Amino acid sequence: MKPFGDIVISALVPKAYRFEFRLALRHLLSGGLQTVLTVSAVATGVIIVIFITSLIFGLQNMMSVLLTESIPHVTVQVEDPKPKTLDTVENPVSSRIEVSASRLKFIDNWNEVVTMLRGLPNVSDVAAVVNGQGFASKGANPIGVSVVGADPELLDVITPITRDLVSGRYKSLNSDEIVIDTELAKDLNVTVGERIRLTSSSNQADSFTIAGIYNRGQGRGSAYVTLRNAQSLFGLGTSVNIIYIKANDIYAVDELANTIMALTRYEARPWTRDYSRNLTNMQMMGVSAYLISAFSLIASAFAIASVLIVSVLQKSTQIGILKSMGARQSQISTVFVFQGLGVAIIGSSVGAVVGTLIAYLISLPTRAAVAGQEPLALFPVKIIPLYIGLAMLAAIITTVIAAVMPARRAAKLNPVDVMR
Amino acid sequence: MSSTANTPTNDRQTNGKPPIVIETRGLKKTYVGKINVPVLFGLDIEIRAREFVAIVGQSGSGKSTLLNILGALDVPTEGTVLVNGIDISTLDEDGLARLRSDQVGFIFQAHYLLDEFTCLENALMPITIRHGEASDEDRERVLKLLERVGLGDQTNKHPDEMSGGQNQRCAIVRALANQPKIVLADEPTGNLDSRSGAEVFEMMREMNRLSGVAFVMITHDDRLAQAADRILLIEDGKIAEITKDEHKRKADRPTPAELNEPSI
Repeated sequence: MKPFGDIVISALVPKAYRFEFRLALRHLLSGGLQTVLTVSAVATGVIIVIFITSLIFGLQNMMSVLLTESIPHVTVQVEDPKPKTLDTVENPVSSRIEVSASRLKFIDNWNEVVTMLRGLPNVSDVAAVVNGQGFASKGANPIGVSVVGADPELLDVITPITRDLVSGRYKSLNSDEIVIDTELAKDLNVTVGERIRLTSSSNQADSFTIAGIYNRGQGRGSAYVTLRNAQSLFGLGTSVNIIYIKANDIYAVDELANTIMALTRYEARPWTRDYSRNLTNMQMMGVSAYLISAFSLIASAFAIASVLIVSVLQKSTQIGILKSMGARQSQISTVFVFQGLGVAIIGSSVGAVVGTLIAYLISLPTRAAVAGQEPLALFPVKIIPLYIGLAMLAAIITTVIAAVMPARRAAKLNPVDVMR
Repeated sequence: MSSTANTPTNDRQTNGKPPIVIETRGLKKTYVGKINVPVLFGLDIEIRAREFVAIVGQSGSGKSTLLNILGALDVPTEGTVLVNGIDISTLDEDGLARLRSDQVGFIFQAHYLLDEFTCLENALMPITIRHGEASDEDRERVLKLLERVGLGDQTNKHPDEMSGGQNQRCAIVRALANQPKIVLADEPTGNLDSRSGAEVFEMMREMNRLSGVAFVMITHDDRLAQAADRILLIEDGKIAEITKDEHKRKADRPTPAELNEPSI
């Protein structure tokens, strides 16, 4: 009666490869430390790939969230007019072209534009906004501040304010209320419930009660009022001068901006244009993750090739006797390729499990940085199942390639030389 | 050159004698290197089925080289080698491998069993290499051979669990597993004590009688050579058949080394 192992091999492996498979399997099972070393080399490569990609893409994700969660992903506004030379003057010569001073420009048909924008793909939320510069004061010492007026419910989705409130509220903002950041509150020495005076760049002024104070930790922030108050302060009537858009895919905003500019007469600026350096940094992080992954896989491939070459040298007598029994060169090389494949499958599976486990463990929250706040993770890890699969596949391909050279070397051994 | 050439044309029976299984004509071998070393100088040999032939000669006389060429493990520099009617010079690598698988069995001084496999698996190895897996009939046949050489109760043991003699007997069965036309044995008892060596030789002799497979054995043991059907002597790269009496006289004559030894 056949042993159980033979029955399993007979059921799973094509007859043409059963000898090679059986011998490769026995080499691995009897390989002891060599097998452990090669499997560990593959597993280490996969662990590094999973760990590095999880960590770097986690950091990248965190940075992009921090960067984009409080800003509109696309802003739509009237384009600044380009300065032109006078075409009525014959042979106009200009030594200097003056750009006109920035002015608030109206988007008169903003209701239509907002409706149209809401229907575009990759658009999550849209808010019509009045944005201008002004001075906040309480008594003397006016302090410059950016003023944003919008529907609080809509704006809170696009550039969250409620989430960062230190005190008070933003939603349900009344017409005589304002929300300011902690920096301005500190400079004006005011708290919630006190009144401050706001003077716009159009020289309109009004007094507001502080409804809330927020802190984003990003330096001086804007002062938020209702849309109607801002329209009144900046003399825009019922118009707005800017439209904020929140996108579903923050990396596909260039296409969205191009679409908007093709459909309207307004300028659409994606966040990537204003934060191009940050974007480049994040892309560099991604590239570095790929490079580290590639180098670690190559390093493990060299380790595997070295161990397999030693294995071939150790088995050279066996290869000779197998050839004397009629084993073909292709059969001998297949044995060592199967051996490499076995190492690759076991190693990459172990690496995937251990790598994912390590990535998961370092992503667990440790302790709250500030009492009462949500506990922080040790590292901002992002485990991507696709990358785990790709790391395993890359490790298997690399290992099999690494096994080919020793396998060919084994196949070409002269039986007379190795058995002498 | 094609592996399809590796098909015996016929069993060449001549004058009522058993068919020739190995034939060489003008076989020469020179090892090419910085200095070319000629080893064999035009050997003509005929080995017939059911024969048990001993090859004797001094160390370095070219016995193992001849055996490797007869078994298609090495190629001659000049001359023709026919194994069961197949000219090995017409075969490519795969063709030579197939010839070794189908026509030739090897027994070496060391048993060269694979440590990772049991006695039965080792004995079945040539069949596994050839067909991927041994059939039930092959398994039964090899098991019977193992029983015949006294290893019926050792089939599941690994080489390191058996004695040197047992391993060599397993190697004999392995050499016969594919039912070859000829078995080439290179000092098969060289690593064994005299008792185990005698047992192994008897097993080979019995297999030769039972299966009709021709055996060509290199040996330095004069008693084993005397027990063969024929004795071929290789001297200075040339081969000659000698009678058992001639061999006995040569064996009794002291060697040059022995002549130089100081008398006690």
